[in-house]
Amino acid sequence: MNRGRISRKALLIAGLVLLVALVSLAGCSKKAEVETDPAAGTGVADTTEDLPTETVPEQVEPVVDEGPDYLTLDPKDYGVGDVYFAFDQYDLDDESMGILSNNARIIKEAGVTILVSGHCDERGTVEYNLALGEKRARAVRDYLVSLGVSASQLKVTSYGESKPFAKGSDEDAWARNRRAHFERP
Amino acid sequence: MSRNKKLLLILVAVLSVSPTAALAQGRNNEVVIEHTKTAFIKTDVLISELDVLSGGVASADAANLMTDIIGNDLRLSGLFRVGMFEGESDSLEFEFTIEGTVEGPLRDADQTGENAPVTISLNLLSFPQRQLLMNKRYRPLHTQMRSTAHHFANEVIHWLSGEPGMCLSRVVFSRGTGGRRDLYVVDYDGEGLLRLTANRELNLCPDWSPDGREIAFTSYRNGQQALFSLDTSNGKVRRVIGMEGLNYGADWHPDGKELVLALSHGGNPEIYRITPEGKIIKRLTVSKAIEISPSWSPGGRDLVFTSDRTGTPQLYIIDSEGAGRRRLTFEGKYNESAIWSPSGDQIVYATRSGNYTQIVVMKSTGEDRRVLTDRRWRNSEDPSWAPDGRHIVFASDRSGVFKLYVYDVVEDTFRQLTFGDNPDITPAWSR
Repeated sequence: MNRGRISRKALLIAGLVLLVALVSLAGCSKKAEVETDPAAGTGVADTTEDLPTETVPEQVEPVVDEGPDYLTLDPKDYGVGDVYFAFDQYDLDDESMGILSNNARIIKEAGVTILVSGHCDERGTVEYNLALGEKRARAVRDYLVSLGVSASQLKVTSYGESKPFAKGSDEDAWARNRRAHFERP
Repeated sequence: MSRNKKLLLILVAVLSVSPTAALAQGRNNEVVIEHTKTAFIKTDVLISELDVLSGGVASADAANLMTDIIGNDLRLSGLFRVGMFEGESDSLEFEFTIEGTVEGPLRDADQTGENAPVTISLNLLSFPQRQLLMNKRYRPLHTQMRSTAHHFANEVIHWLSGEPGMCLSRVVFSRGTGGRRDLYVVDYDGEGLLRLTANRELNLCPDWSPDGREIAFTSYRNGQQALFSLDTSNGKVRRVIGMEGLNYGADWHPDGKELVLALSHGGNPEIYRITPEGKIIKRLTVSKAIEISPSWSPGGRDLVFTSDRTGTPQLYIIDSEGAGRRRLTFEGKYNESAIWSPSGDQIVYATRSGNYTQIVVMKSTGEDRRVLTDRRWRNSEDPSWAPDGRHIVFASDRSGVFKLYVYDVVEDTFRQLTFGDNPDITPAWSR
C-alpha cells in the first residue's frame, strides 16, 4: 500500500510539472493523443482522494486528458474490480463473472501485467488458507484467459488470511476478506 | 511401560547402581506418554543457595540467576517438583539436591564483573544421603549465564530421566500484521526474544534444520512466493526454491539432507521432496486436490500430510516414495497442520469445529483422538512438538490476539510463551 501511495504522489508531482509546462507554453503545444478509456473513470483525479488535503492542488484538472497511467495506478483505480467467494469455496458465481468480463476488457486494453492475489477469511489454518487463496486466484486467472486475456499478462499469488481487507471476526468481515484482488505486481 | 514404572526404575537405578546404569535404563525404554490424568509421579529436587566464595555483587547476582534458571528449567520439564532453598517447601519429599559455589574474578570484582568470567561449580547430590552424583564446572561471562544454567539443567534432566533436556531449545515464529510479518526466535522459556527478518514482506511457516543451523521459511518477492533459508550463525538468507505459485510448508528431513514442502507450479499444490539447494528430488502426490502441510515421521520413512481430495481437508500418510497412501482422520470436516511427535507415537494437528480451530493429539495410528483446547481457547492453530515429545507450542487468540502457548499434553497444563499486541503465528520448536 505504501508503494501505491508514493507512486500516486510521484504522479501528482509529474502532473504538476506537466501543468506548469503547459501553462508556460500558453497552450500552443499540441499534445500527443493519449488513449483514454471512459470506463476507467476520471483517471488521475481519482487518485487524489486518498491523499492529505494539503498536498492536493486544485488545478490538477487539465491532466485528466492523459488517461489512466496503467503502470503506476492500482488496477482498482482504473476500474478493475475484486471478486468475492463463498465460505471454503473457490468457484465463480454470476456476479463475479460479470465483474470479471468487465475486468477482462480493461486489462486487455491496459496491456499491463497484473497480479491476481487470492485471500481468505481468518477461519481455518494458515497453510490451508494459502492453498485455498491460490485456488481462488487461479480460478479468476483461468476465467480471464478464457475471455481472451493473455495468460502472460496475469500472475497469481496467494496471501491466504495474512492480508485481510476488513478487520473483525463477523460474517461481514469474513465475506469481504474472501476475495481475489487485482494489484500491480 | 508406564511412565510411573519407568521413573521408579530410574530411581532404583540411580539409588542403587551407577549413573551410567540410570542413563541406559532411560535410553532403552521408549517414552510412553499416558493420556490419562492418573497420578504422575514427579521427582522432588531441592535447589540450595549457591555459596558465593568471592567476587562480591557480581558473583551474588550470578548465583541468584543460576538457581532461578535451573529451578525454572526443572519445573518446565514437567518431570520435577522444585524447592528453592531448604525450609521453603515443606510438602516436598526431596530425593535430590543441587548445590554449588561461585567464585568471582579476583581483581576489582564489582566493577569488572560483567566482563570477567566467574567460576561456577555445580553439584547434583542424592538427598538426604548427599552422595555426589554429578559435578560440572563452568567459567561463563555475564552474557553466557543463561545458557550456562540451561546447560547444567539439561545435564541434570538427562542424568535423572535419561531423556535429553530441552533447556537450550528455541522457538521460531512469525510475528506481525497487515501484510508484514517477520520471523522472531525466542528461548523455550520465553526469554531472549530476537528478530530475524526485516524485509517488509510476509515471512511465514519457518522450520529448523535438525542441527539448528538453518531455518527454512516462506516469503514473498514482488508478490511471488519462494522458500528461503536463514543461516542462524550469520543471519544470511538464501533462496532455496521459487517456482511459480506456492512454495511453502517446508519440513526438514530428520537427516538434514532434504526437505519436503508443497509446490503449486503444476496448477495446484502437491507434495515434493527437494534438496537443501532447491533441486526437486521427487514429486510424492498427484491429484487435482489441495495436498499440503507435509511432516516427516521421526525416522524419515513416512510422511503425514493434508489432502482435500474427498472434499474436506483430511490427514493421510504416505511413505517417502509417495506410495502406501492411507487416510488417517475420519472424524471432523477439517483436519490440517499435522506434525509427527519426536518419538513417532503421536501426531498433533488442528481441527476446525464450527468457526473455531482446535488442537488435537492422537496416536499415529489414528486412535485415541483427544481435543486439547476447548472453546475458551477460541482458535488454536499451527502446533509444533517440543523435543521432549511432551510439550506442544501453538498459536491461540484466546486473549483476543494470536500469541504462542506451550501445552503439556501429560498434565493438561499450559503457559504463555510470547506477549505483546502483535499476532504471533506458525511457531516451530527446534530439535
